[in-house]
Amino acid sequence: MMAAWLVSAWLAAAQPGGALQGVQDTAAYGCVICHADKRQAFQMGVHAERGIRCADCHGGNPASFEVRTAHAGRFLKRPTKIGTAQLCASCHSDPDRMRQYGLPSGQLAELKTSRHGELLFRGNPDVPTCTDCHDAHLIRPPVDARSSVYPANIAATCARCHENVSLMRKYGLPTTQVAEFRAGAHGVALYQQGNFAAPTCVGCHGSHAALPPKVTEIVHVCDRCHVELGRALHQGPHGPPAASGRLPGCLGCHTNHATERVPPDRIAATCTRCHAPESPAAQRGQVIQQQVVEATGELQAAAAAIEDLVRAGRPVTDERFRYQSALTAYQQIAEVQHSLDLDRLDDLVRQVSSLSRAIRSTEEAAAEQRWEHRLILVPVWFLALSAAVLAGFKLSDLKRRGE
Amino acid sequence: MRRWAGAVGRWLAHFGADLRASLDTGVLAVARFVGLLYGPIDPQARIDEALRKALRYRLPGHVTWRHALGGISYLLFMVLVATGVLLSFYYRPSVQEAYASIQFIVSRIPFGWLVRDLHVWAASLVVLAVLAHMARVFFDAAYKPPRETNWIVGLLLMFLVLAFGATGYLLPWDQWAYWTVSEVLDAIGRLPVLGGPLVGLLRGDAMVSGATLSRFFALHVIVLPWLALALLGYHFTLVRKHGVAPPKDPAAVARPPVPFFPHHLLRSFRVAVLVLAVAVSAAALFPRALGHPANPYQPPPELVSTWVPVDVSLALIRYAGGWGFALFTLLGLSLAFLPLFDRTPERALRRRPVVAMVGLVFFLGFGVLWVVGHGVRSVVPRALPARDMREELNPPPSPGLPLPERGPTPPRPAEPSGRGPGRS
Repeated sequence: MMAAWLVSAWLAAAQPGGALQGVQDTAAYGCVICHADKRQAFQMGVHAERGIRCADCHGGNPASFEVRTAHAGRFLKRPTKIGTAQLCASCHSDPDRMRQYGLPSGQLAELKTSRHGELLFRGNPDVPTCTDCHDAHLIRPPVDARSSVYPANIAATCARCHENVSLMRKYGLPTTQVAEFRAGAHGVALYQQGNFAAPTCVGCHGSHAALPPKVTEIVHVCDRCHVELGRALHQGPHGPPAASGRLPGCLGCHTNHATERVPPDRIAATCTRCHAPESPAAQRGQVIQQQVVEATGELQAAAAAIEDLVRAGRPVTDERFRYQSALTAYQQIAEVQHSLDLDRLDDLVRQVSSLSRAIRSTEEAAAEQRWEHRLILVPVWFLALSAAVLAGFKLSDLKRRGE
Repeated sequence: MRRWAGAVGRWLAHFGADLRASLDTGVLAVARFVGLLYGPIDPQARIDEALRKALRYRLPGHVTWRHALGGISYLLFMVLVATGVLLSFYYRPSVQEAYASIQFIVSRIPFGWLVRDLHVWAASLVVLAVLAHMARVFFDAAYKPPRETNWIVGLLLMFLVLAFGATGYLLPWDQWAYWTVSEVLDAIGRLPVLGGPLVGLLRGDAMVSGATLSRFFALHVIVLPWLALALLGYHFTLVRKHGVAPPKDPAAVARPPVPFFPHHLLRSFRVAVLVLAVAVSAAALFPRALGHPANPYQPPPELVSTWVPVDVSLALIRYAGGWGFALFTLLGLSLAFLPLFDRTPERALRRRPVVAMVGLVFFLGFGVLWVVGHGVRSVVPRALPARDMREELNPPPSPGLPLPERGPTPPRPAEPSGRGPGRS
């Protein structure tokens, strides 16, 4: 029995298996006998897992061990950039073949609409083709952390060219985008909080059809995630100019790659970037700033009051509920900041303030009670001192009497 | 009417006589526990006789305020027993209810805050009182034969006090208690050989959990009190057997003895009321704050110490490192066991320079470290990023949803399908 088990284990170990062993299969992968440097990258890629062989892209005769015969026939040594796009598309544009993998088949068509594709098919050698972003051999799907198009790696992949100062100077493009993105709200969400809902470069620009959004499109790009804020913007006075392109959409206040947030105390200053300081619009900005600063202070005071209540050992279930209500109202202020509806703002700030006041009054009552507790010290010390003094009298009396 | 009164009087007299006849001096252990009996033990005496003898007992003339420290420790211990019993009426030792029951005690029960804070403060004061008592015995060389057994019993009592505090520390089940105990058990677990099994026994789980809370509660209110009662009885019995140590200064022997009743009792009473007043003041002025409810998945940003030995440990670990902590503990232990080896009759401090230095460094160091450690707030190093109730209370810097909530984790890359021959 034991011997049979050992023999079967031995045989199982001797069997070739899976994609790794497949690459060693010389009839299909004879190429790696000479091209050992490509072997490891390719066998880690998704194509090796799907049973694609070197010859499926490069042609030649993988069964041959001689260079001449191996490279004979329809052999493609290193495809050109345009050739690469067409080579990939020979499979990836075929919906029938891509269906089983759940992959789209329009990448080449999309690429042609992008600035990259436009220049590529004009024969420009600077622009990327498929393999520049996806690698030629180590091709992994975007869900694989090793992939160059994994969400956390995309910015670095784009930066390979877009941070190249000399290259970008030729096209009049800036090179600070990636650094700004990393420091901005989206970059912080992605890299520091691991939030994969945050967009990377392709989230706003598209991947294969990469282009900067047009001025009139910016609002729609941001709207895709910031639905409520976009709707509020369209309802407010900034909606029509944003739609007609007179206002650069969200970028007017928030900039593009850095996605700057406008802190409460900078609201009025942001308005005066476009509006004259004494104009009614700037004055409205002042009012909004004042209200938002007030609401922020109220919310912070409520949070501090709850913290104090916790420390004092008070149950805070009700206060937490009120705080959540206040927080909800406070978060809705952001909408008003985009619709510039002062009545609604007033209403929301009032909600935050009244809830905060309720929380703080509970805390004040508790603090008052804590203070009252100290009053117990008056009778305690009175009794203790009188008892000690009386005992002292008695003692001295005993001593005096010589007992 | 008179007939009735006479009948009741006769019945009471019978009852008293029966009671006297049925009680022997073994019952006096109770009186001994509450510190009421002094003087030599006479097992033959009847209870009322023994009580009278004890009241007539005269203490040596050199017994002064310095000798009050043991009594103060005992008084604080009794305060802990009384407040502990009151707390146990409402405290519930379970993960779901422990924290809420503390909130209930503090905010709903009349004078619940006082009972709880008195318990907390007495737990700290008793450590200081016990150490002061030890220092007095140490510097007076009162531990020398024939009283060395009592020094050992005293040491065991001090360890019991520490064990009481350590087990009680977890019971509020707030973040500070939870994480301090986690850290301490973790440190003990790293001690070679015995550390692992000991922590396994104490914790009863892979992490500090409800199992740990139950064990700590059982130790705190069942196991340790019985041990303490037995050791206290032994300690007091030995004090009565050997009497108070003679003074270092031979001239002090000549002082006239002091009657236990009423002189010494009055002196003790004065000390007791003042100590109680101090404990109540500390409780009213500096209540023990409560942290957020224990969350095993989120260490708190700071650990607030609420007990003297934790203060001292924090100060040592922060300013002297792990080795400093180990050295100071060794110093304390060597001081504890020194009397077993120091058996010469020499008692003057000047002739015992090494002993004096070791004692001075330890007792002074403890005091300084306590003061320093009170300000130390250490952050638990093994932090895991996760949202908790505290973070929820951080107001955002500006309106609006902060950012989209964390999305689903990207799916793992598809495992290669087992198409290859012999793929296992």
